Amino acid sequence: MIMGVSALTFREVSAGYKHRKVLDRVSFSLQAGEFVSLIGPNGSGKSTLLKTASAFIKPLEGTVELFGRDVCHLPPRERASLLGIVPQKLESPMAFTVEQIVTNGRVASMGILGSATSTDRDLVERAMIYTDVLALRDRFFGELSGGEQQRVALAMVLAQEPKLIMLDESISHLDINHRNEVLQILLKLNREEQLTILLVSHDLSLSAAISDRLLLMQDGTIRAAGIPQDVLKADLLSSVYNCDLQVRQDLYTGALQVSGPVEGQKRSSPTGCRVHVIAGGGSGIELFRRLLLEGHRVTAGVLNLLDSDAEAARALNIDTVFDQPFSPIGEPALQRASRLSEAADAVIVSHVPFGEGNLVNLDLAAEALRKGRRVYIARGIEGRDYTSGRQATAKVKALMDAGAVGWESLHELLSVLHEHQKH
Amino acid sequence: MDMSTEFRLRRVLKTDMALRQERMAVCADNRFTQKKPPLQRFRLVLFLLAVPLLLIISLMLGPSGIGFPDLDSPVGSAIASLRFSRMLMGMMTGAALAASGVVFQALLRNPLAEPYVLGVSGGAGLGATISILAGASLALPMSLPVVAFLSAVLTLLLVYGIASQGSAGQPSVYSLILSGVIVSAICSSIIMFLVSTASVDGMHNVIWWMLGSLQPASTAQQQFSAVLIAGGIAGCWVLSSRLNALVLGREMAHYQGINAGLVIVVGLLFSTLLAATAVSLSGMIGFVGLIVPHVMRASFGPDHRRLLPLAALGGGVFLVICDAVARTILAPIEIPVGVVTALVGGPFFLLILQRRMKQAWIA
Repeated sequence: MIMGVSALTFREVSAGYKHRKVLDRVSFSLQAGEFVSLIGPNGSGKSTLLKTASAFIKPLEGTVELFGRDVCHLPPRERASLLGIVPQKLESPMAFTVEQIVTNGRVASMGILGSATSTDRDLVERAMIYTDVLALRDRFFGELSGGEQQRVALAMVLAQEPKLIMLDESISHLDINHRNEVLQILLKLNREEQLTILLVSHDLSLSAAISDRLLLMQDGTIRAAGIPQDVLKADLLSSVYNCDLQVRQDLYTGALQVSGPVEGQKRSSPTGCRVHVIAGGGSGIELFRRLLLEGHRVTAGVLNLLDSDAEAARALNIDTVFDQPFSPIGEPALQRASRLSEAADAVIVSHVPFGEGNLVNLDLAAEALRKGRRVYIARGIEGRDYTSGRQATAKVKALMDAGAVGWESLHELLSVLHEHQKH
Repeated sequence: MDMSTEFRLRRVLKTDMALRQERMAVCADNRFTQKKPPLQRFRLVLFLLAVPLLLIISLMLGPSGIGFPDLDSPVGSAIASLRFSRMLMGMMTGAALAASGVVFQALLRNPLAEPYVLGVSGGAGLGATISILAGASLALPMSLPVVAFLSAVLTLLLVYGIASQGSAGQPSVYSLILSGVIVSAICSSIIMFLVSTASVDGMHNVIWWMLGSLQPASTAQQQFSAVLIAGGIAGCWVLSSRLNALVLGREMAHYQGINAGLVIVVGLLFSTLLAATAVSLSGMIGFVGLIVPHVMRASFGPDHRRLLPLAALGGGVFLVICDAVARTILAPIEIPVGVVTALVGGPFFLLILQRRMKQAWIA
């Protein structure tokens, strides 16, 4: 690593598309010669960050600097000599050969008439050798397998000779042999030619093993940055990826291993409990989905017909008590719901807004609590209480005093449920 | 030489070959490894030999008989000069349309793109129709081609403007094609309306113009068009390595250090200029700008540095031959050349494309 030289700097950058801001005041910096992995859930803004770094998207606020120069004011040719991006997938509708595709990497430096010098041809040749696509040089690009196409795309960017390479999930399609080879090429270039590399990856363990630093993105912001040991923390990852993740360190190699609930599921038998959900207004959809995925048996109600949660419950085949739409909940429905909640081990109240119409649903929870069921209530009732005289807030407070448990994030709720289930 | 010596010699040669191959595999020096496939080179030589041959044949065909006219007689030299200038007209028009088609197909990344896709034909046709029906084409010399040319360029600007709405100044390929199709449709219905209300004479003139013909234009117009077409093809050719990169998409081209938006605008301008010049020179001749680029791409690969000049040459020769057929086959009646391009060229090119489409576009 060349200390002090910054390859890429984001200063308070906000960027996005016409009606949707994706990056929200992102600040970070890559040192020249660093190998950094960019991780984060789908839709957290990783690809947008790459597009912004190359000025394909202009930032709405803030500045992006490439080796100390504002990327928006760099001439395209110079920008390409500093930064190369390997896309998720390269598509060529016309039947170019592999060699023609790789030669595209030299297009900006070949000048206006586009005649390749012997240096250009040598660079193309070397890039093809590095990525093991020399044997494919006269094949049509479109005929190759996905992994071979990825290596050709990498060869094209290597021929461009940039000082910083960004790979947008480019190695995930490669077989294990070629993935290791490509990583070796990248590590070698990084070590010997001080090439700076930003790798967007979903393989957290692999990223930890090869990177100097990790950048963790969430909802368009950098949630954490630092050496792998600091970023790969089970609680941090679990909250960012919104699922239960464990991080273990290999005793011999010291390598960090991130494992998820699927790996765990094979070992533990599915002993879900029976839960009754009080929801409404769309607050229950994600709750239903996750509870079912975790192996719980779910019932729900009372829900008004035409409510989006009612539609979801019906679609997911959840045993639900319905009542007429746009009217207060009636006595018969309430009785049916109370039988369901009595049969359950736990009652969960979602982030549902309360008005006069559905206030009785809280009495359902109170009754269950009296009968010894566990009750979990989403926090922040004050903001969702539309009853006159704040009756819902009062009822929830009474419930909490009587032993109901509050919850904030789904992840938190599921782990508490899991804990209780063990006891 | 007896058998065993020959056998030994062969073995030595063979090991030498093997050694060379081995060296090729190890050595990264591209002087050894970079070689065009011989078949493609053969095809190129064949094509370049066929071009002058076909041009000479076209000079031998005409309603007055097959064979070279007698240059010593005044009638013969007049026929020869007429055939020669029709050949020039065909070369210019065909080259302009084919080169324009190549650029449109690359910029729009679409095999259905052709010189008229962004409303050039509709706009030029409307301008020409108005000019003919208003009688201006008779009153002022050169007014018909000038009006046709200007209205074609205006239509492109209109289409580009419409497509740019709501996409922050950079129209997507799809919005360009869609607005082109819509504007073309509007133009043709206005033409239909004007023609339907016109006199029989005016109707005849408009329809004859729209069918297209290579009747030699005035010398001034030919010279002016030649300059525009040469400039347009040169301009497109300068863009050709950038067109290669743009085929991979605007985003990828941007990453490779190309000002993609600028290349698209300049490319559209040059190719529209070519198409508009061709239309003002010879009316609306279809098919050349769509099919010749495909066939040349299938034969010589999609690298635009080679494809563009070859397609221009191929388009010119193709149109010259079609014109020779059109004026000869039912002599003394002349068939509109646009009819021949599709009727004769269609089956021939279909045969080629059927066998070699894989070399042009990814199926």
